[in-house]
Amino acid sequence: MSIKSSFLLGGTFLVFSFYWFTDFHRAPIYYIPKPHYKLPVNPQKNDTVQLGRMLFYDNILSANNEVSCASCHNSYNAFAHTDHELSHGIYDSTGNRNAPALFNLAWQKEFMWDGAVHHIEAQALAPLHDPRELGSSIEELLIKLKSSSFYRTQFFKVFGDSIINSKRILKSLSAFELSLVSFNSKYDRIKQGQEVFTEQEKQGYLLFQNHCNRCHTEPLFSNFEYLDNGLPIDPFLQDYGRFLITNVENDKFKFKVPSLRNLSYTFPYMHDGRFDKLRKVLAHYGDIDVHSRVTDVKSIPLSFNEQSDLISFLLTLNDESFVFNKEHAFPNRLKEELIKK
Amino acid sequence: MKLYFLLIFLLLSFVQKAQVQIEFCLFSDSVIHTPFKINETDSLTKFKFYISHLEVKGENKHVSEKQHYLLDFHENGSASRIISLNNVDTSSILEIEFLLGVDHKTCNEGIGEGALDPINGMYWTWQSGYINFKMEGVSDNSTAKQNKFQLHLGGFRKPYSSTQKINLTLEKETSEIKICFDLNKFLNGVNLKNQHTIMSPSKESVSLSKLAKTCFYVN
Ligand code: HEC
Ligand code: HEC
Repeated sequence: MSIKSSFLLGGTFLVFSFYWFTDFHRAPIYYIPKPHYKLPVNPQKNDTVQLGRMLFYDNILSANNEVSCASCHNSYNAFAHTDHELSHGIYDSTGNRNAPALFNLAWQKEFMWDGAVHHIEAQALAPLHDPRELGSSIEELLIKLKSSSFYRTQFFKVFGDSIINSKRILKSLSAFELSLVSFNSKYDRIKQGQEVFTEQEKQGYLLFQNHCNRCHTEPLFSNFEYLDNGLPIDPFLQDYGRFLITNVENDKFKFKVPSLRNLSYTFPYMHDGRFDKLRKVLAHYGDIDVHSRVTDVKSIPLSFNEQSDLISFLLTLNDESFVFNKEHAFPNRLKEELIKK
Repeated sequence: MKLYFLLIFLLLSFVQKAQVQIEFCLFSDSVIHTPFKINETDSLTKFKFYISHLEVKGENKHVSEKQHYLLDFHENGSASRIISLNNVDTSSILEIEFLLGVDHKTCNEGIGEGALDPINGMYWTWQSGYINFKMEGVSDNSTAKQNKFQLHLGGFRKPYSSTQKINLTLEKETSEIKICFDLNKFLNGVNLKNQHTIMSPSKESVSLSKLAKTCFYVN
């Protein structure tokens, strides 16, 4: 090989490796697919993420300054909510859906149980304006933030000037949300060759692959499609899921397939929180009424022992380090600011 | 090398380019009072819409603008809004084209700034996406409470994509284009008995957006 061509080769290699290191769409682990949204780089030191984290925890987002995003999305529950089946917002109001867990959001394109929100940046506008959630508005929030010297300083730190606008608020919030990445469960360590399944977990994994993986697809444990898993409709809520967005008859009873990671922390389950135990979920999958409508899954009857095996596998998807990650909890900077007041 | 760039720069700056003014208006009367009376039975309390991808076309050349403009006909109480395009060869403009609404790509990109900031009240919060066209008012024909009507047209996801492309030909070459929206034609085409409240992407939203498309004309 001539000197010239080896320089060329070396140069190309350098360019490619540079590209690889700066490719923010790169997944954190080799078996994880590319995320749909860019992952924030170095979240602990990333000012945008940290600003978003403060906004996420700050009651300033609600009309009466008593509710925050974290009121419904608790870090110790993988950012789901466990006290209520249906979400519990401002002035003790009740919504009509269960607050979902928030993690690995960068791999989802659309949000909400019915996909009502098409972009992560737009998502926060929904709870902000919902009279049963934060009961406020982006206009009101802008006025509050602009009159806070604390936030003016924080915005200056991130954006280099003290302009506070909707885009910046929403970008920061979504940066924090995108930083919530959970791939450190026993399942992941097994994938990486660091641990092995117990015999029972292995049996459960086989059952999972046969019956559940089609929708709760590895390694994110969702295919993020809208499907009907056969839940009978709640006559009080009358929630038709995806149909509310598309108006297409065929979309009735369809909801976004949720991830099965961190299930130990995210109960109650389903869009309306109707099941508080995994046994009850499996009992439902064992007894799906296929006579009243065409569902996307038929009954999956499992013996009591098979259920135990399947559950023992599902528990390997818990990521304790995610749930107890201090970097996701109430930010100290905000705590100090609130004490000062 | 530097000299070369300088030469190009000088050449470019000598080519005669001027400004084109595009005026959007409701009627020829340019004063508007809130609530704006259209006729004996109808009045408006809010009327705004997005215009984007303005394109003026000449014989061979055309100039296009990716920018989004929010035309709010109650701001300052004036019934006309002027958009200026700079650096346009004005000698042979024969055609003007624009989108009524926000383009699909911009919708998919998330939240915008300026005209596209959600504080402008042109963003749906419960089901995300821009409202392309917002008209609110009072009409004897409306069967809603207090005879109000609220038409929020928008949506970009299939099958309810409602952004419209509008193409108008100019009768004579001009650098001052005046485009009007025929309010009477629009309101006559809406069945306010059943269609008084449209607040989400839907069949009605698409069909009324198509109606709005036909209401623009060159004055
Ligand atoms: C009153 C409780 C409540 C509050 C406050 C709240 N949320 Fe939620 N959140 C919910 C519920 C309920 C849903 C599901 C809504 C639906 O599907 O219609 C949800 C859904 C979400 C989702 C979509 C997750 C997914 O997988 O699709 C995100 C992201 C989110 N919330 C972030 C936030 C942020 C950011 C805030 C603060 C600005 C916030 N939430 C405030 C209850 C709440
Ligand atoms: C046809 C696709 C499909 C199959 C197959 C399927 N699910 Fe589901 N699953 C869904 C959908 C859709 C939901 C959300 C339904 C809702 O909330 O209305 C869901 C919800 C769940 C939930 C609740 C999660 C939460 O956070 O609320 C659990 C747990 C669950 N499924 C476990 C399983 C198990 C275990 C299997 C295999 C035995 C399985 N699913 C098979 C589609 C499927």
